[in-house]
Amino acid sequence: MLTRRLLFIVLIVCVCVAGCSDLPRDPKETLRHAQGGRLRVGLVEHPPWVIRTDGEPAGAEVELVRRFAAELGATPVWHWGGEQQHMEALKHYQLDLVVGGMTDETPWGKYVGLTSPYFEERIKVGVPRSMQPPASVKGTQVAVRSGEAVASDLERKGAAPVRVDDLSQANLPVAAPDWQLEQMGLTPAEIELRTGKHVWAAPPGENGFIKRLDEFLYRHSSEIKGLLQQEVAKR
Amino acid sequence: MKIPGEPFRLPEEKQPAFRRAKRLEWITILFMLTIIAAISLTMGASQTMKAMWTEDVLSLIPPVAFLIGTRYFDKPPDEEFPYGYRRAVMIAFLAAAVALLGFGLYIFIDSVVKLLMAEAPTIQTVELFGRRVWLGWLMIAALVYSVVPPFILGRMKQPLARELHEKALSTDANINKGDWLSGLAGVLGILGIAYGYWWADSVAAGVISFEIIKDGVGDLRNSVAQLMNKRPSDVESKEPDPVPDKVREELERLDWVEKARVRLREDGDVLTGEAFVVPRDESNLLDRLKQASDLANSLDWRLHDVNIVAVRSIE
Repeated sequence: MLTRRLLFIVLIVCVCVAGCSDLPRDPKETLRHAQGGRLRVGLVEHPPWVIRTDGEPAGAEVELVRRFAAELGATPVWHWGGEQQHMEALKHYQLDLVVGGMTDETPWGKYVGLTSPYFEERIKVGVPRSMQPPASVKGTQVAVRSGEAVASDLERKGAAPVRVDDLSQANLPVAAPDWQLEQMGLTPAEIELRTGKHVWAAPPGENGFIKRLDEFLYRHSSEIKGLLQQEVAKR
Repeated sequence: MKIPGEPFRLPEEKQPAFRRAKRLEWITILFMLTIIAAISLTMGASQTMKAMWTEDVLSLIPPVAFLIGTRYFDKPPDEEFPYGYRRAVMIAFLAAAVALLGFGLYIFIDSVVKLLMAEAPTIQTVELFGRRVWLGWLMIAALVYSVVPPFILGRMKQPLARELHEKALSTDANINKGDWLSGLAGVLGILGIAYGYWWADSVAAGVISFEIIKDGVGDLRNSVAQLMNKRPSDVESKEPDPVPDKVREELERLDWVEKARVRLREDGDVLTGEAFVVPRDESNLLDRLKQASDLANSLDWRLHDVNIVAVRSIE
């Protein structure tokens, strides 16, 4: 019978495919071209993830890209630029990777291939060890870096955000990512202001390359916090 | 005020088939819910999976409509609804058909646009038992699972639909067939992505949406035709039903009837309508009309509430 034969064929194919480890493949062969060749990386400045210096680029993600390139036997070629410029290049396969502290909320996700989130950053309110972490921030002054979105989250929770340039000089409860609060010796309160699930961007549909990135980032996920704290400490 | 007309009762010998049909529809709903859950969990950015999800959600409508409809269609006629509730299922079907057609067209256009724009679908990995597993494999597993229940259930429903003359059930069985065929097309689409053929996804979605559109057009035509009281037809072959002719022949065989014309419509499984008779002999007409009415309603189990109208002439 035709239908039963069809089912049977599909099952056989599935079993065969599950045994292949080189799947999924890239339609545009990004992974194969990078191996032993060049890895074209677009960098968007976003300390401490990607830091622009006079010399070689620095930052937690730049360090990870170096390790990833080394794993592939590829030489990273750095391109500095804005996010839109890089994403357009990525969409048209002119870059292989874009990093810059992006989260999975990026509106570019529709046009490029995002990796799975590899690091979750929770922005919380931290207080000095001597203080009891507050149950609510309603009516309290909280220091926040000026020009950052998290001030609006504080306002929504009824707090009075105090926008400062240097959080360590604020002498107030501080709104910052959990890894940074830890580094500053502050105790985080249970109130979560914002979460960012960090991702990298690859060319759209290059599923083999993206799988390789996912595997690499998954293996290194426990080191991210340390890398970020190192970058902050250096400066 | 007592409303004239008795509610239709399914004959005793049809009851087991009817109960079995209801049970099958419940099983279908349960399985479809698990399939929808499996597809939702693995959906990702794939067009194929989007199309499958839509098709599976929409295939819940026929069994739900059947179960709701059969719950109420026995309700006796009342002042508010003097013709009873038997046609309620048909309205649900019109809505389902429009939804089916609309979603089918949407996915078809979406897939064509994605093909023209050469948008390659990105499928990420997920963590499973401490390893990164490509979501595509899980999609294939979900799709293979989605093939089995509709394949078996559809085959079990078709003979029941024939026995009960239930078009709702027959449509549902057809949709089940579309479901499992689409599932196989979906597996091929995802396999295509795995091998680096990005277009396979949109092509598979296009094939699936075509199947949905086909179901939608067919159902829309059927439900509109039934609502417009089209001449009764066979559940599967859609050939004209022989029952109206049989009623006419039997009425004309009565010695006091000179000529008869019959006009019937389908209220779900029930055949109802009028028979016009030209009496040769007008004596005892009320008794004779009663006799004709009993005869007309007894010729087939589906005949119910066929009214005999005495007229002076036909044509």
